[in-house]
Amino acid sequence: MTYKSQSVAKLYFIAAIALFAAQILFGLILGLQYVMGDFLFPHIPFNAARMVHTNALIVWLLMAFMGAAYYLVPEESETELFSPLLAILMFWIFLVAAGLTVAGYLLVPYSTLAELTGNDLLPTMGREFLEQPTITKLGIVVVALAFLFNIGMTILKGRKTVINLVLLLGLTGLAVFFLFAFYNPTNVVLDKYFWWWVVHLWVEGVWELILGSILAFVLIKVTGVDREVIEKWLYIIIAMTLITGIIGTGHHYFWIGTPEYWQWWGSIFSAMEPIPFFMMTVFAFNMVNKRRREHPNRAATLWALGTAVMAFLGAGVWGFLHTLSPVNYYTHGSQITAAHGHMAFYGAYVMINLTIISYAMPLLRGRNAANSNKSQIWEMWSFWLMTIAMVFITLFLTGAGILQVYLQRVAENPQPFMVVQDQIALFYWLREIAGLMFFGGLVVYIASFFVGQDEPEATVAQS
Amino acid sequence: MQEQVIDTSDVLHDRHPPGDLAIWIFILAELSVFAVFFAAYAFTRMNNVELFNEFQQHLDRQSALLNTLTLITSSYFVVRAVAAIKENNHKLCVNWLLAAISMGFLFVVIKSAEYAHHFGEGINLSTNTFYMFYLSLTFFHFMHVIMGMVILGAVAIKAKNGGYSDIEHTGVETGASYWHMVDLVWLILFPLVYVMR
Amino acid sequence: MNNKVMGVRRCTWVYLVLMFFSFITYFVGRLELSGLTISLFVLLLALIKGQLVGAYFMGLGRLRGLWRWPVFIWLFIPGTLISIAFYLSA
Ligand code: HEM
Ligand code: HEM
Ligand SMILES: [Fe+2]
Repeated sequence: MTYKSQSVAKLYFIAAIALFAAQILFGLILGLQYVMGDFLFPHIPFNAARMVHTNALIVWLLMAFMGAAYYLVPEESETELFSPLLAILMFWIFLVAAGLTVAGYLLVPYSTLAELTGNDLLPTMGREFLEQPTITKLGIVVVALAFLFNIGMTILKGRKTVINLVLLLGLTGLAVFFLFAFYNPTNVVLDKYFWWWVVHLWVEGVWELILGSILAFVLIKVTGVDREVIEKWLYIIIAMTLITGIIGTGHHYFWIGTPEYWQWWGSIFSAMEPIPFFMMTVFAFNMVNKRRREHPNRAATLWALGTAVMAFLGAGVWGFLHTLSPVNYYTHGSQITAAHGHMAFYGAYVMINLTIISYAMPLLRGRNAANSNKSQIWEMWSFWLMTIAMVFITLFLTGAGILQVYLQRVAENPQPFMVVQDQIALFYWLREIAGLMFFGGLVVYIASFFVGQDEPEATVAQS
Repeated sequence: MQEQVIDTSDVLHDRHPPGDLAIWIFILAELSVFAVFFAAYAFTRMNNVELFNEFQQHLDRQSALLNTLTLITSSYFVVRAVAAIKENNHKLCVNWLLAAISMGFLFVVIKSAEYAHHFGEGINLSTNTFYMFYLSLTFFHFMHVIMGMVILGAVAIKAKNGGYSDIEHTGVETGASYWHMVDLVWLILFPLVYVMR
Repeated sequence: MNNKVMGVRRCTWVYLVLMFFSFITYFVGRLELSGLTISLFVLLLALIKGQLVGAYFMGLGRLRGLWRWPVFIWLFIPGTLISIAFYLSA
């Protein structure tokens, strides 16, 4: 750690990991409710658990992005953070708001929560991923603005690098598109139309810029490759992301009442969206192959390469699978979607955050470059456990999805939804088992922060 | 050992395309989007031959020809700009680049007039499948022309400030490659959408 | 690119061919000629033009190895697909 103010990142990272754990716990509850419908009913109904699972995911990813920014912006700008105090203050506001919101989901019925929080004044609730009460959303905006101000001022007073600017662009985009969460027209077509401006333009637009810049930062650090080379890659990845991703929103406009040309625009442009993800994979491996030094933090390198591969698989391959409108006609809203959603979120955004955490945490905790060997070995075990478990979750859901689509939509005598669900329960059981394995990996991951603390730092293997 | 001096300017001598490798990866990605669009056009036409043939008649072939000529000419100018900088002639290089950009500008003007005409008739993306393709394809290309002009503009400014020389002119070649790509796409688009029936 | 054929730069020759082919294409359209043979002929002209741009303007024709081919392949694949589609609908 070069700058004292970078240490605020630690708070954000710790809270992110705690929420990650909560997210997975609720995932397991959901998975069990899929096969045992009344599990925990009426205390935690499926819809409430689902909100906690997905919202915890989004919030912890946002927290970790902020942590990442607070860590890497001072280092890239070669100056202290504009205001560490503001960063700490915003952290607590964000955490308390998140905690209250989750408590609200779990303690009172959703409609009561809406009433309590004055949703009728400015109705924004009730839409997937944007279920938060309006006041929580306003809180998020305040936190995001203060955050952008803080980061922006830091960049302004310091060195301006491509990584910094791309990150700032991504984070600004994140905040701007979130504003569409406040637009809630009564016309359902318009509602859905703009809802995707948050959801799609986040994960397949501006978040990819954040992903690219964090990946580039870590790769510079662990490989020692020239900044110039890495920046060049960043440029084309971003250009490709924006060209394909923006119009690619059309792959959500096939069946919601939008004009027909979206069938073509959505199919063609989104079919190209895997390209930037593929470039990222090539980029990461290229840089590691050209490395100028061996970094003792092998775990961070592993996470970085893992991100590049899994993001391509989850977003690129599993996304492409159902992105052409004639295919999506059958697969829309099936378990194929869930399979893709899981692997893409994990491969791209969970893993990039675990990458930067893996790189930064040892430094934030006073190490020179890396954790002890023992701690790294635990961490790498958790990498494999979680990643392989996620591959299995994806495969089981894909299996479930193929059967579901066939029985429910393709077969000569299509069967009703619930009848089909019963027939594919086996896959849901398997998914739950893979989920337990994921949870095991998470436990090992958390443990890796505690083991081997009194052992010396890992050094570069002299093999 | 005696060294042999041969003129390598025209024989096979290089493994890497002119300009920055990154732009080439970008060019390939862009070309593939257009390739998919072209194939989609052709196969959709297969099921709507009459419709396509009928509305193709409404397009302004003359403007399309003019636009083809402007792009080819401007591509040629860019070739000359690269040749000029290889002879270390900054001023000439800048002039060729400016000429190329003006041709690009001409393209934009002609194409805009065409659009104005169509929009004036109340035609839009939802009018029919033919117009959907015509407008999408040409507009996507149109945006590339503008993008290319911006790139050439940046290169021209740097060239004017003496940023390139006969030894180091990757930037000029990078901009040139992108611009040729814009031309290349139009060369297929023109017959496909305006002429073939 | 500095070499000349009959006293004129090679790229200028290429330019003239490109212009000439474009006029032919235009007149085919102008005369409203139609049918498979005509279409494929016009397409062929376009593919040749594309290859000329790739080889001489973009400078790929001078290269050894893989990079010699991308424009050719790019022309070849959609060219084939377009031909098939026009053939099937003729
Ligand atoms: C990291 C990037 C990505 C993430 C995190 C992600 C995540 C998701 C999620 C969560 C959904 C479900 C949304 C919902 O209906 O609730 C979804 C849907 C979808 N995604 Fe992605 N995605 C990513 C990239 C991609 C890419 C690159 C493609 C295309 C190549 C793609 C294609 C699709 C399609 C077609 C759907 C709609 C599925 C349906 O009709 O039900 N995604 N994505
Ligand atoms: C880091 C790991 C995980 C990520 C990133 C993640 C992400 C997501 C996302 C984005 C959705 C919404 C999907 C959609 O709208 O299509 C979702 C829903 C769900 N997740 Fe997860 N999840 C993870 C782990 C788990 C685990 C371990 C389980 C259980 C074994 C699980 C079970 C579920 C269930 C049952 C749903 C609800 C699907 C539905 O509504 O039909 N998740 N998760
Ligand atoms: Fe999407």
